[in-house]
Amino acid sequence: MKRLILSALLSVSLTAQAHPPNASDASALSMLPVAVSVAAPAMFLSAGAVLMVVAVEASATGVLCVLERASDGARASVTLSAQAAGGLSVGVGTAVVVTAFSAGWVLSAAGRAIAYIPNEIGAALLYNERVTR
Amino acid sequence: MARLIAALALAGCMTLAHAGRSCEPHPPEARTVERAMVLAERTARALDASGAQVVVLARAGQDLSAYGLRYSHLGLAYRDGTRWKVAHKLNQCGSAVASIYRQGLGEFFLDDLYDYQAGVVLLRPDVQAALLPALRNNRQLAQLHTPRYNMVAYPWAQTYQQSNQWAIEMLALAMDPNAATRERAQAWLQLQGYQPTPLRISAFKRLGARMTAANVAFDDHPNEKRFADRIETVTVDSVFAWLNRSGLGGPVQVVR
Repeated sequence: MKRLILSALLSVSLTAQAHPPNASDASALSMLPVAVSVAAPAMFLSAGAVLMVVAVEASATGVLCVLERASDGARASVTLSAQAAGGLSVGVGTAVVVTAFSAGWVLSAAGRAIAYIPNEIGAALLYNERVTR
Repeated sequence: MARLIAALALAGCMTLAHAGRSCEPHPPEARTVERAMVLAERTARALDASGAQVVVLARAGQDLSAYGLRYSHLGLAYRDGTRWKVAHKLNQCGSAVASIYRQGLGEFFLDDLYDYQAGVVLLRPDVQAALLPALRNNRQLAQLHTPRYNMVAYPWAQTYQQSNQWAIEMLALAMDPNAATRERAQAWLQLQGYQPTPLRISAFKRLGARMTAANVAFDDHPNEKRFADRIETVTVDSVFAWLNRSGLGGPVQVVR
C-alpha cells in the first residue's frame, strides 16, 4: 500500500514537471456569464459601486438579475445569456462589486468574476462559434 | 423560482458532464477578465493598424520557459468586417478530444494566461489571400481536423492532432489544394522546411503524464526517438521561427 501511494505521488509530481508544452484548454470565458442587455440608471455601473442581488429570474432571453445599489437603493436589471447562465454563482443577497475598465464592467463577488458586461468596445471583441462537433 | 434553480442546476450538470472530468467551473478573478479583455482590445488595435487580413496569433497560457518556449497556443486570426475572429482548436477540459472554434479576440485571451502578451506574425500577402476564404469556410476548417487530441502529438503522424498542428496543416491546405489529407499537408510542411521542437521528456515523465492525463500520449512517436527521450511536437515558437525563415511570414510582433 505504501508503495502504491508513493508511486501515485511520483506520477503526480512527474506530471507536473512534464507539463507538455501545448495547453489548449477551452476558453474560461465560456464559463463566465456575459450580459446581453442592461437596463440601469445613469452612472449605476461606476467603479467600486457595491450592489446587492435582489432577484434572479428566468426570462425569454436568459437569466434576469436585479441589482440594488447599497448607497441609495437604485436598481438595475442585467440579463445574462442563457448559454452561460448555468455558471452563474450568485443568489439573492449576494454582495457584488463593480469594476469598470475600457472594455466594460466586471461584476464580482468575493473577488471572483460572476459576470462580464461588455460595452461597445468589449462587445466587438466577443464571438463564439463551435465549428466542429 | 424552484423551477429556475432546477434549470440552473441542470445546466451546471450538463456542462460538467459534457466537459469531462477535470473541468470544474471556477470563476476567474475580476482582474483576470479585465487584463484579458484589455489585451484583446490592444491586439485588435495592433491588427487594425497592421493592414493585414490574416495573421498567426499566439497566447502564453503557461510558463514554458523550462523548454525555452514563450507561447503555448496559436490560432489563425482574420478580419471579418470591422472585427477580428480567430479560428483555433481547443481541447475540452483535459479530455482526449478537441474541436475547432471560431472566437473573438476576447474569448481567445480569456484563458487564465500566464503572461498577458500576444505574439503576432503577419503572413505574406499571397498566404493571407489563400487563407482568408478557407478560414471563412466551415467545411474547410473541419477538413483536416482530427478530434483525437494529444498535447504532444507527433507532427508527422495522423493518429492525434494538437492545436498548433491543426493550424499549420490548415495553412498547408490553403496554400496547396493537393494537401487535402493530413498526410499530404504534412508532406507540404516538410517540403517547406517546417521543423518541430524536440523536447527532452524522460521515460519517467512520459509514464507519469500518460497515466494521469487523458490528453497526453506518446504512442504516435517513432520508437527510436521516443526511447531516446526525444519528443517532437508542434510548438508555437517553432512555427514562428519557421514562418520567418521560410518567408511565409514576418518576425514576431509582441502586443502587451
